[in-house]
Amino acid sequence: MPQRVFVHGNGDIKKTLVVIFLRGGADGLNMVVPIGDDAYYRARPLVGISATSTVPLNSMFALNPRLVPLAPLFHAGDLAIVQCAGSEDQTRSHFEAQDAMEHGGTSAGGWLGRYLRYRPNGPGGPLASVAIGSAAPESLCGAPATVVMKSFEDFALGERAPAALSALERLYAPESGALGDVARSTLAALGRIAQLDERSYTPSSGAKYPEGRLGDGLCHIAQLVKADAGLEAACLDVDGWDTHFAAGTLMDPLMDELGQGLAAFRTDLGSAMKNTTVVVMTEFGRRVYENASLGTDHGRASVMLAIGGGVRGGKVYCDWQGLQPDTLEAPGDLPVQNNYRNVLAPVLAWHSGIAEYSRVFPDYRISPLDLCS
Amino acid sequence: MRISRRAFLHAAGALSAVAMTGCGRVRQFVGVPRPPGLTGPFAVAAAPSVDPITHVLRRLTFGPRPGDHARVAGMGIEAYVEEQLHPEAIDDRECDSLVRRNETLAAPLGELFEYKEDLLLRELTRATLQCAIFSKRQLHEVMVEFWTDHFNIAQSKGDSAWLKTADDRDVIRAHALGHFADMLRASALSPAMLWYLDGRVNRSSNPEEKPNENYARELLELHTLGVHGGYTQRDVMEVARCLTGWTVRSEEMFFKGRVEFRKEWHDDGEKLMLGETIPAGLGEHDIDHVIRIVSAHPATARHIAWKLCRHFIADDPPQPAVDAVASAFAVSKGDIRTTLRTLFATPEFRYSVDAKFKRPARFVVSAMRATAADCDPGDAVYQYLLRMGHTPFQYPTPDGYPEESHHWMGTMLWRWHFVLALANGHIAGTTIDWGRLSDSAGGGRLLIAHLAGREPTELESESCELSGAGPAFMLASPAFQRY
Repeated sequence: MPQRVFVHGNGDIKKTLVVIFLRGGADGLNMVVPIGDDAYYRARPLVGISATSTVPLNSMFALNPRLVPLAPLFHAGDLAIVQCAGSEDQTRSHFEAQDAMEHGGTSAGGWLGRYLRYRPNGPGGPLASVAIGSAAPESLCGAPATVVMKSFEDFALGERAPAALSALERLYAPESGALGDVARSTLAALGRIAQLDERSYTPSSGAKYPEGRLGDGLCHIAQLVKADAGLEAACLDVDGWDTHFAAGTLMDPLMDELGQGLAAFRTDLGSAMKNTTVVVMTEFGRRVYENASLGTDHGRASVMLAIGGGVRGGKVYCDWQGLQPDTLEAPGDLPVQNNYRNVLAPVLAWHSGIAEYSRVFPDYRISPLDLCS
Repeated sequence: MRISRRAFLHAAGALSAVAMTGCGRVRQFVGVPRPPGLTGPFAVAAAPSVDPITHVLRRLTFGPRPGDHARVAGMGIEAYVEEQLHPEAIDDRECDSLVRRNETLAAPLGELFEYKEDLLLRELTRATLQCAIFSKRQLHEVMVEFWTDHFNIAQSKGDSAWLKTADDRDVIRAHALGHFADMLRASALSPAMLWYLDGRVNRSSNPEEKPNENYARELLELHTLGVHGGYTQRDVMEVARCLTGWTVRSEEMFFKGRVEFRKEWHDDGEKLMLGETIPAGLGEHDIDHVIRIVSAHPATARHIAWKLCRHFIADDPPQPAVDAVASAFAVSKGDIRTTLRTLFATPEFRYSVDAKFKRPARFVVSAMRATAADCDPGDAVYQYLLRMGHTPFQYPTPDGYPEESHHWMGTMLWRWHFVLALANGHIAGTTIDWGRLSDSAGGGRLLIAHLAGREPTELESESCELSGAGPAFMLASPAFQRY
């Protein structure tokens, strides 16, 4: 039996943070709908979500019907919703806003990369951070090592793999800097992942992941978590939320996938969810009023979700100020009340016990939400 | 004579088999174009470090092929740069005849809709890779890649699936070494771009109808001034107003895909953009002013210069080079040849050997070039690009595939995987005659040197031997990831 040595940066407690980034600026107002505010329906006569179809969470907010699989999580206290969340970036540019949010300000590297490098207990093992997809997100920039993966299949290097692997090890040994780090962690990861097999994988407790990139990605992450492979941070991107045009048609299938995927992940992980936190974020929300092409343009605040380990759920974190013209930010956007850092900070603190945020979120005075126990 | 149905079918099958064979023969007789291969022995650059010729070849091309070094040594670097700056004067018949077999590329705009969208993407991708691997107009191809990222269009959005083929031909390739303002205008009125960034639904028939700002913002932020170029939210809105009314004919109309100006959708009021007033009533000529103002803006010169230097010199380009290139861009009024000539003459360019990390597509193409591979870059190559996240025309957001190395380092596993598959002949559609390649280079050690671009280190030679893959293993080395 091969010896399995797991390197955990966060000591004996094996915690995993999963970050799902909805790219394009997800419409938070149509996901967690302010059904108690008439101004919402006045601003969105055509693209607004009718109150009767929604799933009420409290007197003000209700879930979009497409997100109904999340309702049990909310009521069980596993899901926290942060409404009016976003960054201070006002460019309303996808790239600037994503960069600002993923970099966690204007310093070098990404917030998750800096977290993994600077948190207590040092950098983790070769599988500490995994990006599901085809490229590493900016948030992982500066991480000690990142493995980008699409699937466990075909990781092996062919018939002469052992000779090739030892040659690669030698060839990259003197390599310093990022390339050397990545090469070494890739070689180590190869050995680790060789033991996983997705074809024979059956999710626990009858969990059913939706088809598509999000479902596949969450299923891969669940396997890595359960395999005790030293996974500390996993990133997953979901494209397509830029709904300038025909918003409903574009968003409905995305929300189906998100709701079903998150619910399946929680079911599949079972008790391992106690040590796993999922955060869902997006670069900005949409303008409050709809445009002439049945869509909404780039706005300011949107919604963030936190699920699982450490999360004080069952609550919508927001002091709702309404959508009256005088409460909006010109030219008609929902103002940001909860800076994303104040949502991420308590999650990171719960994960590794950091009390000092300045290296992860420089140039910003953190006042963490009371989001984690 | 009575023929049973079974016998008849049999005969028909035999007939069609004969017909097919005949067809194959005719093709063979006429000559199916073969990609250019190895022509014979070639001189290898085996100096202790990468020499200036190899450096220039690595940057102006997708990587040196056997024989390229000797050719540039013969004509001189300066003459080579000039040759590459004038692709129209380069005889590229061999590559042209290969690429021509992708028949969708030449289809007029309206006829593109007669093809299946996946065929269009497949042929466009294959042609792009064929040109990158085989074209003698290498600098042109490098610039095609550069502008494809700069004016990124994801083929997966709406009618871009059909229209990107025309954008590639009529915008990117037509102007890759031309004038920036011409390319910008062509891009602004490219039907694929009007789809991709929602320009086609940017309208303002009445004061209540808010323009769609998507294209206007990316025009300023990504295509011209750059995000710190000094424009405001107001400028974005004014550009959007100027461009209201430009749209693409859609499904239910004749001349689908044609770009047209709908006067009734245009906001014809006065606009104030980047400090300049555009008077009311200019209608479809508003766009002329937009293109003129943003092309000539000093921030555009700085932004384009910075991007070119980042591409050709280093991820974090030295400021003196950026300044020199920006100035050349401004003085020449956006003449791309002049701008590049200035860039290649900077000392920062000359002294930037190995400063760049190959993106996956360049890695794959440079390996095919270095080994003079007989390669049909079809699905097998495509699958590798997919795993490494670098398939052409599929980057979803308008900023284009990232340039900096850190985005791509996570792809090492698949690079090694690719090299071992290449060494073992496991990439369908690609054959490399390793024996002949080695003989032509003058032996295994010189072949390793050819792939390294210099004399190999002891560790490199040893590793190739140890790997069981021979000199091919050099393609998996750190040295081959850089250029």
